[in-house]
Amino acid sequence: MSKYILPAFIGIIILWAFIKRVPVYDSFVKGSKESISLILSVFPYICAVLIAVELFSLSGLNAYLAKIMSPVLSFLGMPPELSEILIIRPLSGNGSLALLEGIYENYGVDSYVARCASVIVGASETVFYVGSVYFSTTKVKKLRYAIPISLVACYVGAVASCVLCRFI
Amino acid sequence: MNIVFTIMTLASLVMLIVVSPESAFSIMISGASSALKLAFTLVAIYAIWLSVLSLMEGIGLNRMLNNLFRPITKRLFKGESDLALEYITLNFSANLLGMGGAATPLGIKAMECMQDGSERATDNMILFMVINSTSIQLLPATIIGLRSSAGSNSPSDIILPSLIATVISTVTGVALAKLLSCLSKKEKKKEDEKTIPKQPLYLDGKIKVGVAKK
Repeated sequence: MSKYILPAFIGIIILWAFIKRVPVYDSFVKGSKESISLILSVFPYICAVLIAVELFSLSGLNAYLAKIMSPVLSFLGMPPELSEILIIRPLSGNGSLALLEGIYENYGVDSYVARCASVIVGASETVFYVGSVYFSTTKVKKLRYAIPISLVACYVGAVASCVLCRFI
Repeated sequence: MNIVFTIMTLASLVMLIVVSPESAFSIMISGASSALKLAFTLVAIYAIWLSVLSLMEGIGLNRMLNNLFRPITKRLFKGESDLALEYITLNFSANLLGMGGAATPLGIKAMECMQDGSERATDNMILFMVINSTSIQLLPATIIGLRSSAGSNSPSDIILPSLIATVISTVTGVALAKLLSCLSKKEKKKEDEKTIPKQPLYLDGKIKVGVAKK
């Protein structure tokens, strides 16, 4: 069912535009043109973030921090196996999906740990990516309390995910 | 971001110098080149969504959606222009439907409309970022897909807990953002009150100096 939604949606928009005499081809040219200037302002930010993320996850610092975090997780009633994915989740979307697949392989897809990890990844976003890309075309340099709050909110959601997975 | 970035790269580099110094530079290059690959994918996704967006603008669908969600967005984002509210609504709709590729350009446009020209993010911008980074997706399609390809018995089991967890994190985020915005406003007021009585004195001094010189 969900595979029909996207093409149908875009099809309806194009048809509707045609009926309303909105120039469809011109709009696509305009949108494509805009996308180039958009990526030019976004690219420096994703480049910097990805360099840091790659360093962080491949240097082993990520695994080291995960080890330190495990007892904290057990204290909160969460499976300590989740520590690595919890650290990577706000940094990298692809990275957390790769870790998620690893958890599926190691613990089984329908295990409690795997379900917790799925819910955590499904119910959160890459906070640092959003923080850098969304402000990329503005003059804003100081995000003030934006990132701390986003992280706290995501981790509250993560704790809730583990509790929820126990009952549902 | 500057502090986080510095700590992350510096700590990782120190670790790498101890563990395997020869791989450090190639890791940095692989990070940058994966950004380049991502940029190529993104420019394609943005091209399509920005085109659809400009069609939607032409039809007037944006305004219709905006009118529908205005009661909510107007209360959440006080004092924002209609255009900003329109982009916010569209960004939220895209996020709810799980169209991340469409949500990003819309979010960037919303931020552009909300900025006040200063280097500090406004309270509304922060609230917007917090809502976006706590995920408001109704159906985590990617995860369900991953689960079914990994051979799960019931891949869609996680829909309900994900939805509840998302609501919890978003509500927490909004509450914290609103709380901190209230606190920072109060502090600003206090600071203003402190500085106001000083100003006339300062002016007084200047005038006196001026008079003495004459």
